[in-house]
Amino acid sequence: MPVAASAIYFLNLRGDVLINRTYRDDVGGNMVDAFRTHIMQTKELGNCPVRQIGGCSFVYMRISNVYIVIVVSSNANVACGFKFVVEAVALFKSYFGGAFDEDAIRNNFVLIYELLDEIMDFGYPQNLSPEILKLYITQEGVRSPFSSKPKDKPVPNATLQVTGAVGWRREGLAYKKNEVFLDIVESVNLLMSSKGNVLRCDVTGKVLMKCFLSGMPDLKLGLNDKIGLEKESEMKSRPAKSGKTIELDDVTFHQCVNLTRFNSEKTVSFVPPDGEFELMKYRITEGVNLPFRVLPTIKELGRTRMEVNVKVKSVFGAKMFALGVVVKIPVPKQTAKTNFQVTTGRAKYNPSIDCLVWK
Amino acid sequence: MAPPAASQRYPSPSQPSGKSEVSDLKTQLRQLAGSRAPGVDDSKRDLYKKVISYMTIGIDVSSVFGEMVMCSATSDIVLKKMCYLYVGNYAKGNPDLSLLTINFLQRDCKDEDPMIRGLALRSLCSLRVPNLVEYLVGPLGSGLKDNNSYVRTIAVTGVLKLYHISPSTCIDADFPPTLKSLMLHDSDAQVVANCLSALQEIWSLEASHSEEACREKESLLSKPVIYYFLNRIKDFNEWAQCLILELAVKYVPSDSNDIFDIMNLLEDRLQHANGAVVLATVKVFLQLTLSMTDVHQQVYERIKSPLLTLVSSGSPEQSYAILSHLHLLVVRAPFIFAADYKHFYCQYNEPSYVKKLKLEMLTAVANESNTYEIVTELCEYAANVDIAIARESIRAVGKIALQQYDVNAIVDRLLQFLEMEKDYVTAETLVLVKDLLRKYPQWSHDCISVVGSISSKNIQEPKGKAALIWMLGEYAQDMSDAPYILENLIENWEEEHSAEVRLHLLTAAMKCFFKRAPETQKALGIALAAGVADFHQDVHDRALFYYRVLQYDVHVAERVVSPPKQAVSVFADTQSSEIKDRIFDEFNSLSVIYQKPSYMFTDKEHRGPFEFSDELGNISITPEASSDIVPAQQYEANDKDLLLGIDEKDDNKGLSSNNGSAYSAPSLENSSNITSQMQELAISGPATSATTPQSSFGFDDLLGLGLSTAPAPTPTPPLLKLNPRAALDPGAFQQKWRQLPLSLTQECSVNPQGIAALTVPQSLIRHMQSHSIHCIASGGQSPNFKFFFFAQKESEPSNYLAECIINTSSAKAQIKVKADEQSTSQAFTTVFETALSKFGMP
Repeated sequence: MPVAASAIYFLNLRGDVLINRTYRDDVGGNMVDAFRTHIMQTKELGNCPVRQIGGCSFVYMRISNVYIVIVVSSNANVACGFKFVVEAVALFKSYFGGAFDEDAIRNNFVLIYELLDEIMDFGYPQNLSPEILKLYITQEGVRSPFSSKPKDKPVPNATLQVTGAVGWRREGLAYKKNEVFLDIVESVNLLMSSKGNVLRCDVTGKVLMKCFLSGMPDLKLGLNDKIGLEKESEMKSRPAKSGKTIELDDVTFHQCVNLTRFNSEKTVSFVPPDGEFELMKYRITEGVNLPFRVLPTIKELGRTRMEVNVKVKSVFGAKMFALGVVVKIPVPKQTAKTNFQVTTGRAKYNPSIDCLVWK
Repeated sequence: MAPPAASQRYPSPSQPSGKSEVSDLKTQLRQLAGSRAPGVDDSKRDLYKKVISYMTIGIDVSSVFGEMVMCSATSDIVLKKMCYLYVGNYAKGNPDLSLLTINFLQRDCKDEDPMIRGLALRSLCSLRVPNLVEYLVGPLGSGLKDNNSYVRTIAVTGVLKLYHISPSTCIDADFPPTLKSLMLHDSDAQVVANCLSALQEIWSLEASHSEEACREKESLLSKPVIYYFLNRIKDFNEWAQCLILELAVKYVPSDSNDIFDIMNLLEDRLQHANGAVVLATVKVFLQLTLSMTDVHQQVYERIKSPLLTLVSSGSPEQSYAILSHLHLLVVRAPFIFAADYKHFYCQYNEPSYVKKLKLEMLTAVANESNTYEIVTELCEYAANVDIAIARESIRAVGKIALQQYDVNAIVDRLLQFLEMEKDYVTAETLVLVKDLLRKYPQWSHDCISVVGSISSKNIQEPKGKAALIWMLGEYAQDMSDAPYILENLIENWEEEHSAEVRLHLLTAAMKCFFKRAPETQKALGIALAAGVADFHQDVHDRALFYYRVLQYDVHVAERVVSPPKQAVSVFADTQSSEIKDRIFDEFNSLSVIYQKPSYMFTDKEHRGPFEFSDELGNISITPEASSDIVPAQQYEANDKDLLLGIDEKDDNKGLSSNNGSAYSAPSLENSSNITSQMQELAISGPATSATTPQSSFGFDDLLGLGLSTAPAPTPTPPLLKLNPRAALDPGAFQQKWRQLPLSLTQECSVNPQGIAALTVPQSLIRHMQSHSIHCIASGGQSPNFKFFFFAQKESEPSNYLAECIINTSSAKAQIKVKADEQSTSQAFTTVFETALSKFGMP
C-alpha cells in the first residue's frame, strides 16, 4: 500500500496557508479548509496530533508559530510522517540560518518550493540531508530575498553525489586544519513523589560532534561502557557495578554509523558528515547519580495564596561546580503577584511560561 | 498545487488586491522578454520572485503565463527553476497554454546539465494535463536511460506520475518492465528505492484486472528479491529503508532458518536514530515470529528498550506516534512491560494526548506486584489541573480495581476521592463505585456508608447522578434515608434535564418501593405520573410499562424490576479480538493511532462514498455527520441504558423478553427518529396500527405480544423485473437507508465456489451487476465483507436497498432489505438470493 503523502501545508496560527505543495491529486484543495474549521477553530488543536476528517488524515506539528500539516489519504505510516516533518524543519533551519517561523517562510517562498520538490517526490520522501541538498539547491540571498548577485552555476557533477553511496558527506572536502569537537549533553529526568522519594529517574544523553575533516575519514570511537543489551544474564549475575563502567540501556546512532561493526566490535565507527551532527543517543536508568536534590514544600495559605519553598542541594563532589543553574517553578496560570526571598541568585516571575525562574 | 484563484483564500487586509501589480508585472516581463542586455537576468529574477510570491499568497497571476514562457528562454538555472514552479502551478488550470511550455521543457530535457534535465523532466511530469501525455513518453524513456542517477530517480517517479494520469499509456510504453530491470540492476540506491515504490503502486493498482500484474506483484515478494533488498539495506537512506522493511513484512518465509536469517540481517536496524525505521523493523520481527510463540516473546523483550528510548526522545508528536504502538504491544503482552511501568508515569509538561495514552498503559500493565505504586501515582493525577486527565486517572484506578488486583486498598482510595469535593471527581468516582459494586457486591457496606453521606445536590453531571441514583435504588435497604433522597430528587423532576437520570430515577423508585413500600409509595406515584407525562419517549415508555406491570401484579413487577442479581464477572470488552488482531496486522500505520482497522477509515476514499462505522447500519458521510450528531448521541444514551436494563432483568427470561424486545427494536433501526415514530405508533394503540403493513410490523415487533412476527403477508409476487441501468446517487441512498424501515432480514448460505471467488469485493460487485443489482459501497477484508446494493424496478422508479454481510469462513450471508414498496420486498429478496447463489458458478 502506498504510504505517500498527498500534500503538505504550512499554516500560520490564524490558519492562513503560508505555502503548500500538493504531491498527489487524491485530496481536494478544500482539505485545508476542513482542517481549519474542524481542528484549528475548535478546542481540538491540542488534543491529538493525528486527526481524521472526511477520509483524509492530518498529521500535524507546531513549530514556533507555524503549523506543518501533512495530508494523507491512505493508511499511512505515522512515525515516518512526523520524522519527515522534523527532518524537514531541521533542513529549513539550516538553510535559513537557525530560525524557522512565519517570517522566514514568507521571505523564502521560492527556496521552500524548491526544497519541497526535492525532499519529496510524488509523496515519497527523497533525500533530506542538508549537506547534499546545499550543493545544488542554492538561492542567493536566502536571508534578503530581493538582493541578487550573479553567482556561479552549481558544479555540474553535484548531482552525482546527490544519490551517492555516502549520502551524508560530499567528496573532495579539504580543510587546512583538521578538527573534531565532541560534546556530550545529558538530560536527567527525575520524577519525585511529594514525600521526596525518587519514583523514576533516567538519563537521556546525546553525543554531538562537529567535524572539519578533509577527505573521507573513517573515524572510530571507543566507549568505556558496558553496553548491556544482549548480555542481560551476565549483567544480572554481577552483584555490584564496578566503578568505571556505565550501563547503557539502549543506544541509537546517526545513519553514518556502521551498526554491524558496533555489534561485533563494540566500537562506533563511522564516516562523519561535515559540520555539526548528533552522533548517538543513549538512555540510562540504572545507577544514576543525581547532581542535585530538590526539596520543595508547598503550603496553601487560604484560597488565593500559596507559599512555595524550594531547597536545592548539590550532591556532587566538592571539586566540581555547576554553571548556569536555572530553577523553574510552574505556577497556576492566574498568578497575579509574586514575592521572593532568595538566599542567593535572582528570581523572577515569567508570566508567559507560567513559571517562577531562578538563576 | 496552490489554489490559483485569490477568492479561495481568506482575504486579509495586508494582502494587496493584486490587479494593478499583475498588469505592471506583465508589461515589465514583456519588456525584458526580448532583451539580451547584460544584467537582464537579474531583473528577471526579481520579477519572477515577485510573481512566485504573489502566487503563493493567493493572487491569481495566471494572466502572465504567456510572458513567463517567453522569458523562459534563458540559461540561468535559478530563473529556470522559478519558471518550472510557475508552470507547474498554473498548467492544470490552463491546459491550452501549457502546450506552449511543452516545447521548452522538452528541449531542457536534453540539456547537457543533468540538474536541468532532471528538473525539466520533473516539471514535465508534474503538469498533470491529460492531453499532454503523449509528449511524456519520449523524455521519460530517455530519462530512464540517462547516465546521471539524479535524472533516473526523477524519471522513475515520473513513470508513476504518468501512470496516475493515464495508466494505459504507461503500460503500453512498457515502462513497468523497464523499472523492474532498473530496480534489480541499477547501482544507485535512490533509483532502486523509487523503482520499488513505483512498481508497488502500479502493480497493486493493476492487479485487479491483469493477471500478469498480479504475478509481478507477487514476484516482488519472492525470496531473491527480498534478500537482494535486505542485504543492501545499509546503502539506502532512512526513508527507503522504511519502504523496504514494509515490503519485507509481506514476505512469507519458507522455514525457520529463513526467519532467523532475516532477523539477524535486520537486528542492527533497531538502533537506527530514525523512529520510523525502528518501528518498521519491529513490525517485521513481530510478523515473522507470529507462529513461533517463544521467539515472539523474545522479540518483545528485544524491542522493548529501543521503543522506550524513542518515546523519551524527540518531540511530543513523535513520542505520541511511538507510544501508540507501544500501547498496542503493552495491551497484547502486559506482563513483559510490567516491570517498566515507571516509564509510563506522566511528566507535568507532556501534552494531554501523551498523558492519556500513558494512563491507559499504566492500567494495562498493572499486576499484583506493581498495583500499589501505580495506584498511588494515579491518585496523584486525580488532583491534576487538567480536568480531562484527572478524570482519566480516576477511571484508570477504577479499571485496575475491576482487574481484581488489591481491590481492598483501591476501594479505600476511591472513597477518598469522594472527599475531595470536586464536582467532576465525585461524579467519576460514583460511576466507578457503581461498577465496582456490580462486580464485587461484598464491598457494598463500606461503599454505601460513604456514598450515603454525599448530597445529591453537589452532583451536577448526569452520569454521576445516575450512578448515585442507581445505588440508592439498589441498596435502599442499607441506606436509611434512601427513600427521602429519592423523593427529593423526584420532586425536582422538572429540573432534571438528562433523560438518563430520569430513567434511573424511575427504576430506583421502583426498586425502593419493593423494599420499603410505605415510605416510597408517594414518591413512586409522583415519579410514574411525571414519567408518563414526560416528553422523552423512552422515559414515557418506561413509566408506562412500570405502571402497567404494577397494575397487573406487583409480584411480577418485582421479579421484573428487581430480581436477585448475580455479580458481573466480566465487563464487555469494547473491541473484539478480531479487530485487535487486524490492527496488529497493520502495525506502523494510522490504524494503530486511531485504534481501528484501516477499512473503517479508508474505505470511503477507495471503495465508495460511505464510511462504515461501528454502529449497526449507521451509515453517514463524514462531512455531513454533524447534522446527525444529536440523534446519534441520543441513540447511544438509550443504548447504554438498554444494557443496564437488560442486565437487570437477567434471570427473568419469561417476562423480560417482552421488555427486551421492546428495547432491542431500536438497535435494528438506523436513527432514533424512526424508533420514536414507531414507538409512538405502537403505544398509541391498535386503532392506528393496523392500517398499513408498515406500522403493524412496527407494532408487533415493538411490543412483542406473542403474535407472529413474520412480515406482513404479501401476495405471491410476480417475478420481479429489475432495471439494468438503475442509478442512485450516494446521498439519496443514504437518506433512503435512514428513512425506510427494515423490510426483511434473511440469512442464507453462499456456495463454496462463490466463497472461493470472493477474494476481493469487486468480483461480487460485478456479478451482482449482471443481475441488475448495483453496488453503492463495499468494504471489508476476508473473512467479513460488507456490501450495500440497490436496484430499481424496471417499469417504475421504485427502489430496493440491501445490505449484505458475507462471512467467508462460515459461508453465510446476512441480507437486510429495505424497499420503497413493502409488498414486493419479498420478491426482491428472492431475486437477490438467486443472484447470490449463482455467484461463483461457471
